[in-house]
Amino acid sequence: MLTYVGRRILFSIPVLVIASFLLFGFVRATFDPTARLRSSRDPQTIQRARDELGLDKPLVIQYRDWATDFVRGDWGKSSRTNERVTAMIRRSLWATIQLIVWGVLISAIIAIAVGVYSAVRQYSIGDYLLTGASFAGLSMPPFWFGLIAIQFLAIYPRGWFNLAHPWFYFVGLHSTGSHSIGDYIRHLVLPVMTLTVQIVASWSRYERAAMLDALSADYVRTAKAKGLPPHKVIFRHAFRNALVPLVTVIALDAGALFGGLLITEKIFSVPGMGSLFLNSLLTGDAPVLVAWTVVTASFIIAFNLLADVLYGVLDPRIRYS
Amino acid sequence: MRQRRIFARLLALTVVVAFVAVACGSSSKSASKNTTTTAAATAVPTGGTLVLGLEQEPDCVDWAGICSGNSYGFWSANVTTIPRAFSVEKAGDSWEYKPTVLLDGEPTLTTSPKQVVTYKINPKAVWSDGQPITSHDFKYTWDQIAHGKDIYDRTGWSKIESVDDSKPDTAVVTYSSPYADWKSIFGSNYGVFPAHLLEGKDRDAEMANGYTWSGGPWKIESWQKTQQITLVPNDKYWGPKPKLDKVVFKFITDTSAEFQAFKAGEVLGIYPQPQLDAIDQIAAGITGAKAVYSADTGNAEGLWFNVSKPPFDDVNVRKAIAYSIDRDTIVNRLFGKLGVKKAMQTVTAPILKNFADQSAYAQYKPDLSQVDKIMTGGGWKKGADGIWAKGGQRASFVLKSTTGNKRRELTEQVIQQQLKAAGFEMSVTEAKAGDLFGDILPKGDFQIALFANVLTSFYPSNCNLFCSKNIPNAAANYSGNNWYRVNDPKIDAQFQPVESTLDESKAEAANKQGDAELAKNVYFLPLDPLPDILLTSTKIVGPVQDNPVMGPFWNLYAWGLKQ
Repeated sequence: MLTYVGRRILFSIPVLVIASFLLFGFVRATFDPTARLRSSRDPQTIQRARDELGLDKPLVIQYRDWATDFVRGDWGKSSRTNERVTAMIRRSLWATIQLIVWGVLISAIIAIAVGVYSAVRQYSIGDYLLTGASFAGLSMPPFWFGLIAIQFLAIYPRGWFNLAHPWFYFVGLHSTGSHSIGDYIRHLVLPVMTLTVQIVASWSRYERAAMLDALSADYVRTAKAKGLPPHKVIFRHAFRNALVPLVTVIALDAGALFGGLLITEKIFSVPGMGSLFLNSLLTGDAPVLVAWTVVTASFIIAFNLLADVLYGVLDPRIRYS
Repeated sequence: MRQRRIFARLLALTVVVAFVAVACGSSSKSASKNTTTTAAATAVPTGGTLVLGLEQEPDCVDWAGICSGNSYGFWSANVTTIPRAFSVEKAGDSWEYKPTVLLDGEPTLTTSPKQVVTYKINPKAVWSDGQPITSHDFKYTWDQIAHGKDIYDRTGWSKIESVDDSKPDTAVVTYSSPYADWKSIFGSNYGVFPAHLLEGKDRDAEMANGYTWSGGPWKIESWQKTQQITLVPNDKYWGPKPKLDKVVFKFITDTSAEFQAFKAGEVLGIYPQPQLDAIDQIAAGITGAKAVYSADTGNAEGLWFNVSKPPFDDVNVRKAIAYSIDRDTIVNRLFGKLGVKKAMQTVTAPILKNFADQSAYAQYKPDLSQVDKIMTGGGWKKGADGIWAKGGQRASFVLKSTTGNKRRELTEQVIQQQLKAAGFEMSVTEAKAGDLFGDILPKGDFQIALFANVLTSFYPSNCNLFCSKNIPNAAANYSGNNWYRVNDPKIDAQFQPVESTLDESKAEAANKQGDAELAKNVYFLPLDPLPDILLTSTKIVGPVQDNPVMGPFWNLYAWGLKQ
C-alpha cells in the first residue's frame, strides 16, 4: 500500500507541474498584473512593477522563477492589496475548510442514512418521500435556497416573534466580539444548510443505488440464508460494500469544493476561497489567481489520490501493485 | 476490529471537538426621504458598539499608495483616523471647505510673488502617542507624496516647491506655480502623516495593512482581513470626543446580503451603491430604518465619447446622439423612486454648483427632426436598414461599460432602443472595472463608454478629464486621464485656468464657459448624478448626514446608540 501511495504521489508531481504551467500561462495571457497601476500618474510605476515581476522575460523563465519561489513558500504579493499571497490563501482556505468539513460531514451522515433507508425500504412511502425530496433538493440552486433560508429562518422569525436577534446569523462565521461555540453554530447553520441541500440529494441517490446493488448480491442472499439477523446483514455485509462508490464520490466532490463555494460564500459573506477567487478575478489580481488555481488543482489531485487509497481500505479485493 | 472502530470514533469525535474549539478561538415603517437627523433634536447617548456594513474592503490603508483608491476605505478608516487641514462640510444648501481643529484658524494665502500658504497648527494637536503634530509632519507628508514611489495621485503636490518646517507650529508651503485647489493639499485625500513614526521607514510597509497611531477622533484597533475593521476612540484627540465605545465596519460585499444583514439587525447602517434592487427595497420601505439619499453628489455619470475614433470624430454624430436620447426618461426610470427625475445638464458634479453651467446641455432634448437635420447636414444618409451611413461607413458602434451592473444594463437597453429609432446601431460590450479603467479606456480602445466620474477633491477636475495635455500615450504608459482624446484649444483655454487661478470667481466663470464649450461640441453627454444612499437604523442617534466628499462616516464621532 505504501509503495502504491508513494508511486501515486510521484506520478502526481508531473501532473501538478504541467497543470501549474498551463494555469500560469493562462493567467499571464489573460491578466496584465500591472493594469491596476495605470491609475498612477507616475510613469515609472508600471516599468518598476514589470521589472519586479520579470514580465519582460520569456514565459518559461517567468514560470521557472515563479515555481522556484512558490516551492520555497514565497508566493509573491497581491497586486491589489500588496499583501503576501500565502497569508491571503491561508486565511481564505481556513474559512472554506470550516464550511467543507461541516458540510461534508453532515451531508455524508444524512445522505448515508437516507440512502440506506430508501434502499432497505424500497418503494415504501418513506422511500418515495425521500426520493421526491432528493429531486427537490437537486433542483434547488444554492443562490435561491440560501436567500430563502435567510428570509424564512433569520429575517421573518425575528419579526414574527419580536426577537432582539435572529435565530441564525448570515454574515461571516462569527459575530463581532464573540467567540462562543453557540455564536459559531448560529453562523454555520444557514451556509452549511445551503451547501448540503444539493449534496445530500445527490449523495443519497448514489448510496441508495449502491445499497440496492449490494442487497441483491449473492453474498447478502447467503448471509440471509444463514439466518443472520437483518441488521447484521444490512450493516455488516451490504452497507460496507455499498460505501465504496459513495466514498469515491465524496472524496472527489470534497476535493473540488476546496476551490471555494462561490455562491454560498458570497451570500453569507464568508471570506473563503470562492470569494478570494471572485475578487481576484474582478480586479485582475494575477499573483493571487495563479496561486489559487495551483492550490485548487493540488487539492483535486490529492483527493483523487485519497479516493484511490480509500478503495483499497474499504474493499480488500482491490490490491495495489 | 472493534478496537479499531472505537479508535476511529474517538478520533472522529476529537477532530470534531478540536475543530469547533479552533474555529471559535480564531479569530418606524418606511424610509424617510432626504432627511438628516440632527443632534440638536435628541441627546446623544454614550457608550456601546456600533456595527456598520461596508460594501467593499479597502485594498490597503497606506493612503498615499496606489492601492488606496478604494472609496469605502477612505470613508471608513482614513477620514476617521488621519488629521487633515480641511474638511468639506455643508453650509446652507451648498458645501464648502472648512478648516479643521488641526489648525489654529484659517491658513493665510499670499499669491505674489509666489503662492504661499501658511498653516498655523493648533497647539493642542497631538498624535495618539502624545507627540505634537508639527510642521515637520507636513513636510514629511509632502515629501512622500511628491517624491515617493507608487503614489496614488500627486496632483497639486508636485507643484509644491518647498515646505518650511523651521517653526514646529507653523508650516509654510510655497508653490512653484499657482495651484487653485490648494485646500485639497493636506486636506481632501491624504491629510498629514506622523513623521516621527514613519520617517526613515518604508511608509507602505508600515501603513498598508493597518496602523495603530492616529491623529483623528478614532484609531484602528484591528483589521481582520476579509472580515472587519474595528475603530476605538483616540483618547488623545483634542477635538470632539467620540460618543461610542467602538465602531465595527463589517465587510459585506454583496448588496443583497448587505440589505438582508441590515434588515436582520446584524449591521445598523449601510451605504450601498444605488443599484436597482437597493432602490426598490428602499422605496418599498424598511422597518426601523432611516434613509438619507441625496443627488447632491460628487458624481457625474454619462456617455463618454472617444472623439479620435469614428463615428464620434464627427461632431454631427455626437450632437445627433444627444438629440436622440431622452435622458430625463432614463434618469427617472433609474432613480425616480428616490425623487431624482431630471438629467444633469453639466459634467461638473452637483456639489460644485458654483462652478457649473447648470443649463449647458438643456438644449439636448429628444428631437428626431433635429437628428435628421444634423445628420443630413453632415453628409450622412440613412441606408435601407434605417441606419445612417456616410462614405461607406455605417453609424454603428460599440458601447463599453462595467460588467455586472444592473443599473447600467438597464440604461444601455433604453439607450439602445432610443438610438435605433434615431438611426444608430449600438451594441454593448461589458468589461471588468479593472480592465475598463486600467486598460481599455487609457489605451483609447473604445468608441463610447458609460460610467461615472467621481470627484476625489472638492474642486472641478475637468481639465484633468478634457485638457489636451492629459491625453494618454504609450510613452507615458497611458497615464493621462483624458481618455476621450479631446484636443480642443478652446477647452484647454477654459479649463486650464481653473486649475491655476487663485481667484475663485474667475475659476467659476472659466469652468462654466468650459462646460458650455463641452456641451456645444458634445464631448460628453451627462445622464445622472448617481445619488448617494445612506441607510441607518433608528437605534442610531446623532447627526447622521451624507457627505459627498468625506463620505457618510465623516462625523461618526458625534453618533450614538440608543441603549
